[in-house]
Amino acid sequence: MTPRKKYQIAFFALGWLVAIGVAFQFGLKVVVTRLYARVADGWTTVGQAISDVEGRALRGVRHTSRTDYLEPFRPILRSAEALRIPTRQLFGAYDGDFPKSFSGFAKLEESVGYRFPIISFYAAWGDKPEQQFPTRMVETIDRMGSVALVTWEPWVVDFDSALRPNLLPRSQREYAALASIARGDYDFYLVPWATAAAKFGRPILLRFAHEMNDPYRYPWGPQNGNRPEDFVAAWKHVHLIFQKMGAKNVLWVWSPHISMPWFEYYYPGPEWVDWVGMGVLNYGGVASWSRWWSFHQILEKAYPALLKFEKPLIVCELGTLSHDGDVLEWYRQAFYHIDHTYGRLKAIVFFNQSHDTTMSQYPLNWSVVQSPRVAAFIAMELERKSVL
Amino acid sequence: MRPWADVSEIFRHRRAKPVERWERWVLGLLLFLGLQSVLYMAWWWYRLEHVQNPFLFALLSFATWYGIFRMVVGWYNLFHVEQPDPKPALPGLSVAIFTTSSPGEPYEMFVRTLAAAREIRYPHRTYLLDDTQDPRFAQLAREMGAVHLELVGLPGAKAGKINAALEGRTEEFILVLDPDHVPFPEFLDRVLGYFEDPEVGFVQVAQAYHNPGESFVARAAAEQTFVYYGPILQGMHGTGTAVAVGANCTFRRSALESIGGHGLGLAEDLVTSIRLHARGWKSVYVPEVVSRGLVPSDLQSYLDQQLKWSRGIHDVLFHEYPRAFRRLSGYQRISYLMIGSYYLVGLTSLIYFAIPLIYLFFGRYPAAVLMSEYVQHALPVGLCGVAVYGFVQRWLCDPARERGLHWRGTLLKLGSWSVYLKGFVLSVLGVVVPYIPTSKEKRTASFWKQARVPALLILLSLAAVSWTAYRILFLVSEGQVRISTEVTMGMAGFLAFNTTFMSGRLYAAWKDRERRSE
Repeated sequence: MTPRKKYQIAFFALGWLVAIGVAFQFGLKVVVTRLYARVADGWTTVGQAISDVEGRALRGVRHTSRTDYLEPFRPILRSAEALRIPTRQLFGAYDGDFPKSFSGFAKLEESVGYRFPIISFYAAWGDKPEQQFPTRMVETIDRMGSVALVTWEPWVVDFDSALRPNLLPRSQREYAALASIARGDYDFYLVPWATAAAKFGRPILLRFAHEMNDPYRYPWGPQNGNRPEDFVAAWKHVHLIFQKMGAKNVLWVWSPHISMPWFEYYYPGPEWVDWVGMGVLNYGGVASWSRWWSFHQILEKAYPALLKFEKPLIVCELGTLSHDGDVLEWYRQAFYHIDHTYGRLKAIVFFNQSHDTTMSQYPLNWSVVQSPRVAAFIAMELERKSVL
Repeated sequence: MRPWADVSEIFRHRRAKPVERWERWVLGLLLFLGLQSVLYMAWWWYRLEHVQNPFLFALLSFATWYGIFRMVVGWYNLFHVEQPDPKPALPGLSVAIFTTSSPGEPYEMFVRTLAAAREIRYPHRTYLLDDTQDPRFAQLAREMGAVHLELVGLPGAKAGKINAALEGRTEEFILVLDPDHVPFPEFLDRVLGYFEDPEVGFVQVAQAYHNPGESFVARAAAEQTFVYYGPILQGMHGTGTAVAVGANCTFRRSALESIGGHGLGLAEDLVTSIRLHARGWKSVYVPEVVSRGLVPSDLQSYLDQQLKWSRGIHDVLFHEYPRAFRRLSGYQRISYLMIGSYYLVGLTSLIYFAIPLIYLFFGRYPAAVLMSEYVQHALPVGLCGVAVYGFVQRWLCDPARERGLHWRGTLLKLGSWSVYLKGFVLSVLGVVVPYIPTSKEKRTASFWKQARVPALLILLSLAAVSWTAYRILFLVSEGQVRISTEVTMGMAGFLAFNTTFMSGRLYAAWKDRERRSE
């Protein structure tokens, strides 16, 4: 055997080894992922059943539960029809520890002496188990007597190329993703999600692809070649899938960025939308592009346009930072205007996130309760509202 | 216990099946896949977003990767699996068999051993190195045609007596036979041929037992040794790192003399072999069963033996290893480091037991990873580990009796973690453990004394579960209770595992209690 031949053999052997190795890892990964997807449903059911046992034991021992407290809201929260035309103003909150922990949320409720009828959280698209329909989360919120507001974010890059060979490579996927959704490329993900939502059966507020008109924020914005008509087409496509799967319990919250112009062009139409949402967040002097805005200053310009949709309005994110301003005064003014200026606001959801890293390198503190006086004030307002 | 019932099958010469070419290819492929799986897991494991509590993450990483690292080095060793070709013994060598007796060792055992030694075919002289000061032993030696040497008050275990006996004898080769071992007639014929190579300093044979059927502990303790005396030592033979294992090793006199006699210490066999290797002597491992002895059959003897080994091995790691390091070959450096750090498993076990307890009591946990991702990345490693373990069992010395999952051995090893930890701590502190020969008779200790550690761990687990139940019912917010069900259950499951792992030792302690009352 010549040395060259030996070298060749070694070369080919190595090639084969690597090929077998890659096939082994890849095969196992696909098998494990598939198996897990199959087991996951059963696993969730078992988890929920155990969780319910815990809940019953807890109620038996503590003689009280959050559900009893929220009993007056029950007629509204338990019926999709009633929730479409709410007869009372509803308050809600999101907590930054969701979905891992409810401790921060419990602390917030404790400090303002209130139980929120709406609990808000965020869910991203993707292949991972925690990116599928958040059964445990919505069930938990339901058991606690509240209704879930799910902000559903189409991060199309989170789908694994290995598992989804028919999708574009990750680097090209974000461009014109909304048109791609509208074409049905992501139905593999949407159908099981919608089916699970239908199976859940009780009302959910679903806020799909929010702030779609903001070119600085999310990949589904106009900067990636997503035109307004693409958004509308995607919205309708997703909506139709939910209809087909019988998910009539899902209420659609259309939620543009109201400080950006031309959001009206993104409106899919009255028969496709149940609520119109918006964020009211005051960044104060935290960055060069921001300054101290009051609740009224943020909302006043867009409000007339929002009214034209003739849908109940929801503030999906309400909050203020404390840079260069008085937080207590901000909330004082906000509640004043909620009462006197913006009568069509049917729901307000506090954004209780103490370490928001989505906008800047250092975390922003959106905690609702920044001082005992703020807590006392909000508690008083919520108390007054619940007597009404 | 069935396979251990037939005495005629047990006391028969056995040799490991030869290694075929295709088997090497399959093993190589398995090892390649295993190695790749390890890299795949490592690449996933160390990610900042997984870290929950940095300190606990560091501990968990240490425990996990210590285990995986050992496995990988073990694979590397297995890849070199090699068996020496059988070599007939040249006639006319002068051979001595040394067997030692100490006070408290049963007389009947020596009757059997000396009788069997007399039946060894190759011409030899048997010596009984005796410090019992019991006239019956001298009488017995005379009857069995052995030379009786009265050697009282010498240091060390066997080593002191062996060194004293070496002086004034002239035999060129010395078989150190453990007194509980019954040698087969072909013993010396299977071993002496390898000394034809003048560089070979010692030849070790497999250590096998005839009493694993006696009790749970005996079976478990024997199971722990099967793979070691099978493929692992064959791999060590392949890399020139085969060690003397304390029983049934045959030495060349000049080799022992070159290092100033047999080494002393709790792991004197290992001390001797590291010194011989450092002197440049070669070693041969013969994967054959040419004698069978006793394995500890009650828990106390087993734990004492394990403490002694772990203390002794750490001594070698801390004292002998650095001294010999420069003169060892690359393979030997790795090999002795691996042997020396074997009993760190006590420390890693402690970490594994502590982590769920820390979560249930204090709510802190090391890493936030998805179960599905963990399974996806750890499963290939686990599968490869099991596949390799299963595959290499084809080279066990006596597969009919030794093949299997060895779950008893694993349970007992896991249950003995506290002893390994104790040995490690004692070595670090430099506390001396007195030498007591591994008991050949049943030792008695109360159930509660033996069950202390596993029972305490199980009690702690119960306390953690109760505390969690109390917290769920009275302290934590409703939402938190409802959403954290899976984590709580997962950790409780982890605890259940730990409790199961303790069950081996607990069961052994309970069985011993029954045996005592018989």
